[in-house]
Order: sequence, then C-alpha cells, then structure tokens
Amino acid sequence: MLDLLSYLIKQGVATSKELCPDLPEGVRGLPKLTEAACKNKDGTDCNLCAEACPTDAITIFKEDERGKVSLDLGSCIGCGMCVEVCPTGTIVNNPSTRTAVKKRQDLVLSNFNLDIPAPIVPSINPLFRRSVAARVVSTGCSACDMELGAAGNPIFDIERFGITVVASPRFADVLVVTGPVSKGMQAALKSCHEAMSAPRSIIALGTCAISGGVHKGGYADACGVENLLPVSVYIPGCPPHPWSIIYGMLLAMESGTLSKLSSKQAKSKANT
Amino acid sequence: MQVERIPSTFADLNVVLKERLGRLGHFTSIDGSQLIALILYPHEGKASLLEIPLEGANSYHSLTPHHAQLHWFERATYDMFGILPEGHPRFKHIYMHDPYEENFFPLRRVHLPENFQSPIKRHFSFLEVKGEGVYELPVGPIHAGIIEPGHFRFSCYGETIVNLEIQLGYVHRGVEKRLTEVALPRMHFIAEAVASDTAAANALAHAEAIESMLEIAVSERSKYLRSMALEIERLAMHIIDVGGIATDIGLLGISSTMGRLRGKALGLGDMLAGSRFLRGFIVPGGVRAAGRSLSNFKSQITILRHELKEPLNMFLDNQMALERMREIGVLKNSLCREFGMVGPAARASGEAYDTRQHFPHGAYPAMAPPVVTAKDGDILAREMVRIKEIWSTLDTLDRLIDNLPEGQTQMEVPDKLPANKIGLGVVEAFRGELVHLVLSGPKGEVLRYAIKHPSFNNWTALAIAIRNNLIADFPLCNKSFSLSYSGNDL
Repeated sequence: MLDLLSYLIKQGVATSKELCPDLPEGVRGLPKLTEAACKNKDGTDCNLCAEACPTDAITIFKEDERGKVSLDLGSCIGCGMCVEVCPTGTIVNNPSTRTAVKKRQDLVLSNFNLDIPAPIVPSINPLFRRSVAARVVSTGCSACDMELGAAGNPIFDIERFGITVVASPRFADVLVVTGPVSKGMQAALKSCHEAMSAPRSIIALGTCAISGGVHKGGYADACGVENLLPVSVYIPGCPPHPWSIIYGMLLAMESGTLSKLSSKQAKSKANT
Repeated sequence: MQVERIPSTFADLNVVLKERLGRLGHFTSIDGSQLIALILYPHEGKASLLEIPLEGANSYHSLTPHHAQLHWFERATYDMFGILPEGHPRFKHIYMHDPYEENFFPLRRVHLPENFQSPIKRHFSFLEVKGEGVYELPVGPIHAGIIEPGHFRFSCYGETIVNLEIQLGYVHRGVEKRLTEVALPRMHFIAEAVASDTAAANALAHAEAIESMLEIAVSERSKYLRSMALEIERLAMHIIDVGGIATDIGLLGISSTMGRLRGKALGLGDMLAGSRFLRGFIVPGGVRAAGRSLSNFKSQITILRHELKEPLNMFLDNQMALERMREIGVLKNSLCREFGMVGPAARASGEAYDTRQHFPHGAYPAMAPPVVTAKDGDILAREMVRIKEIWSTLDTLDRLIDNLPEGQTQMEVPDKLPANKIGLGVVEAFRGELVHLVLSGPKGEVLRYAIKHPSFNNWTALAIAIRNNLIADFPLCNKSFSLSYSGNDL
C-alpha cells in the first residue's frame, strides 16, 4: 500500500492543463473545407473525393462555376481519403477537437458559405452548468465507449469538469448514446430513456450514433439515435478524440468552461 | 491464405473433428443450400474448406451432441440461413431476437421450403434452474459501466452461481450482409468496424483474404508495418485489460496508471497510422502510411517498458489482488479443447495455440514471439499470460522496428475481385484467432463474407468457468476473458 502511494506521488500530475487542444501534426481529425475552388485547373469537374468517400458524406454540386461541395460530418468516419485525393486543397484535415455541435445541420459544411455565424442556442438546462450525470448506452463497435473511458483517465480527467458516469438512468441527467442503434438495442434504449426523470437530454456520441456511419442501409435498421429520440448535442468522429467528447459534454452542460475556452482561442488568434 | 475447396460429407467432418485432424476455423453456409466447415491445420500452415451439399434439404442432424464446439456455430447458421440442426440440445436464436420478423434469414439466397415455420420463437427462452432457494438474477442488456450490451441470466443458490446463460445479439448490425453489398474499395471500412478494439486485426484479416483472392503479395515493409499495428493494438488492449482487473479489485492507483500508459501505447498508433485506433491503416495492397517519422518509436517503447515495470510488479505483489484471482473462474484444459477456445484464455489453460506461429499474416511466422502459456486456467493464469504477452509484444515491436525493411508501402489493387475464388485471412488478434473468409461468385461478386471473431469461441468459456463461483467474482472473471460483444454479434 505504501509502495503504491509513494509510486503515485512520484508520478506527479499527468493531467493536461491545456483544454481541448488541437491534434498533433500528422494525426487525422475530421476533414474541413477551405475557400479553394473545387474545380480542376482546366475548369472541368472533379469528383474524386465523393468517389473516395466510404459513407457518401460528400456531395458535389456541379452547376456552380466555382464548384460547390458540401460535407456532412455527421456521416464522416474521418478516414481521410477525401483529403488524400483532393487536388485543389478544398478539403483539408481539421486538427481541431472542438467539433461537437447542437444542431444537426451545423455538421453539414459547405465551401460556399464558410462563415456561418455560430447559432446562439437558448439555454435549456442551466441546471447542469456545473455538473452533469451521464448514463452511457453503447450500441456499437466499442471504439466510442473506449474513448469515453479514456476521457476518464488521468490525462483528460473528465470528472474535473463535473461530468460523472452513473450506473442507473434513474439518477442521470443526460443519456449518451454510442453506436448505430440497430434493431436489437432500440427497445432497451427507449426504456432507458423513459426511466430518466426530466429535464433530460441526449448526446449522440460518434458518427454511428448520428447517422449510422458505415452500418447505414442494412436490414438491421442501424441509422443512428435520432430516428428514435431527440438529440441535443452531436459529437462527430469515428471515434471522436477524448477531447472532442469532453468538448461535446461541456456543450451539453452549457458549462462556463466553454466561454473560457473560446476567449483563450480568441487571444491566441489575436497573438498570431 | 490459399484454401483448398473439398466436396465433403458429414461423415468426413465427423472424422476430422473426432480425430482432431485440424481445428475448426468456421462453420456456416454460403447461400443456404450447403454447409461449409473451414478446417485449419496449424502445423502445416494450411486450410481447407469442406463443403457439404444439403441437396435441397433444409435440415440435417445436429453435430453439437458429439462436438460441443459447434454449439454456437449451428445456432448462428440457423439465424443467418434458416438451416435447421435437428436434435441440437439448446436450440435458440443467437443474433436475431424479438424485433425481427419470423422466417427472416438475411443471408439465405435459396427459397425456403413451402409452409416453412420456424420451430423456435424469436423470444429468448432461458434455461430454468429449479429447486428450493434457487433464484434468477437478470443483468443487462445495458450494463452499469461504459461497455457494450448483452444479457446475463444467472441462476444462483445463495451467492453461488449454478448456471449462467448469456444472450447476445443486441449489437447485431448485419455486417456480413453489408460486406456482400458494397464495392471492394469500401469493404475494409466496414470490416474494421466489426469491433474497433480489434480494428487492426480485422483490417489485416480482411486485407489478407482479399490479397489471397487477387493473388498479390505485399512488400516486406508493408508486412512489418502491419505486424507493428497488430502488436500496438495488442499492447494497448492488454494494458487496459490488466487495468480493468485492477479496477474491479479496487486497486484504483494501478488502474489509473494503466489507463495513462494505454494512452502512451495509443500514441504509438498515432505515430504509425495517424489514428489512435489504427483505423484506415491496413488496406488491401499494403498500408496507408501517415507520413510521420518513426524515429522516436523505439525510444517510446523503451520508455513504456520502463514505466510498465513498476505498476505491473506492484499488481502481482499485492496479496489482495492475488487472492481475488487465484483458483477462481477455472477453465479446465479438457473443456477448453472440447469447446475450441482460442487466444490468451486458451493459452492460460495450457493450449499452446497462437496463430502467429502457424499462419502467415503480416511479418509472421518469421517474427512471431514464443507462445506464452500457463497451466492453471484461473483468472490469475489469464492475467499472467496477458502480462507476459505485454513484455513479448514490446520485444516484438523492438525487433520489428530494428529490422524494418525499406520499400514501397502501397501497390495498385484492382477494384473488382476475380470470379469463383476463396480468400482467407487468419490473424492472431489480441483475443485470439480471428478468421475472415471470402467467397466470390461467377461475376466476381462477393457471395459470402464470413467472419469468426475469437470471442465467438470464448463466450461459452465464460459461462463454463463461472459455474460454482460466487456472484461477486463474476465481474472479475468476465474481465479476465475480455470478450467482445460487437465482434460476436457482427
């Protein structure tokens, strides 16, 4: 016991002080769109990214002269194929871990309207600003569950933000759903939701939970949680990085930590 | 891997299984008009596919009463194809429960007989243990922590578990069917999402299967990089599995240290593949290099080896931990063989079977580490195997990076499969033998994509090992088998 204590003291503090930092160079995040026109140099249409995308997340509108492309992060599994094939630099890797949103349509990016002002969402649950108890229901391949588990390790330490994972829906405030919610889990998920007392909200964690991801379109009806229950926060990624998960949870809480994050970001931008 | 296709009979299969001429790698059907049994011959590094035609029939005499390892295979084959194993001792659905329509068999291509009526209900009927003082304890499908869903039905007498029946299938996503529907370049994204804790192993088994059909050999460098991905996955998962045992015992200091060190192992994945879960790295034709320098790789392994030593030693020195693991959840070698268990769970019961030694995948068998085994078959034995494998995996990674050949990492792959071919990938995932079997039709379309995840063999082991143990020991025993729900449910 003493050995363990002295070992732990020797280890020091592993917890990261910087919150939701960008991913290191060379690590794949989700893609993002830039202002670069989506047309070949000779003005012909390029369709490489849409062809390469394994989940049909990319749509190309050919009628426009500049070349319009839209990208649905809710279907994107972050495989990076589109970034690899894009000849014009219209689609690039996005190292940001702050990718969660509150409205489904905010996940659909396009290169013709890059500066969508961030929608101001009216506060729903000021109750949960300081702490939130989450019930996690897994219906998928376990990657998102493991990243959520990793968010609880000493490096990310999700509990310092007041976020706890609880063992019963009876004392949960939010329901975190991972996986594509195929037929086998639909009844169990619904009854778990019913067992929660109001106010309650649902977080769709990972691309499968948002849209079904790679599993969409089969006989098992695996197309995400939204068809069954209303979602209030979407965390895209396959799986999302633990920081992305923490950011999404803070968004669901409307936590004060978020405003600190954005002011820091503004400062660092002003400095550069 | 090349597979020989042999027209066969039930009598032949009986002999192979009875005489243990080979291991049963898979047992299923192609379209509902035949049964196929994949037989692996570890010592020759070969495989054959026994094909037993049903000649228009829809049923056969169940083989389970004589060969217990077919128990789940026959149930799964009924779920997918509607082929009835008559006389199966515990015949019920495995993947498809209440929400599915009667008489719906997703992979069946031949017509069902007229007036066919399924003899079993979709609703799962659990084995009832009767007697004074016996009670049932239902757990799941949603569990208390952050884990995948499955239902456990314990029949207990006092605190002792008399019987455990496991109902899975809650995360059945229809992966095998999806894999026959999408174009070749998209397949590997689905294949690796079968179970993402095994993403690298699934991607490798898929790539090996597809490459054997296309008859292409990848570069030596690709082979080494693939093995590195597989070993990083094993390392990360073994570390977190030992951490999970520490959590359940209550050694929170060790479990949080293991959580932190797993992060370092995942960092190796980031370095190699640009993805913590090594997603999208191993593809048919080679690997997709992340373009990051591997110059720090070796020093990271050295640091990890150094950092792991102290917490692992403390874990194994802790009397409380040892008491919780010793002689609990014992899986006897005889039962282990009878039920065809694989991976660390089987090695902890004395089965020296590691596919890295026998079947070519990645840089194996040339770079395969020695097989780690233990005798006792209890939780402690499984953890000892796991911990020894952490060290052997670190050594293997060292050897792989030291001998990493130069060369290309990707080669052109046609976007269509050749006609009437069989592809096979057998990979040692961190849970054991993982099989991807692909059969193409006359137009190069995928007729059948069959996956056998190691957990499919090993779930039964948990139900056997927990008998006559205390209910309080179940979480620990469950964790020591480290089973995948999604890999089993497909």
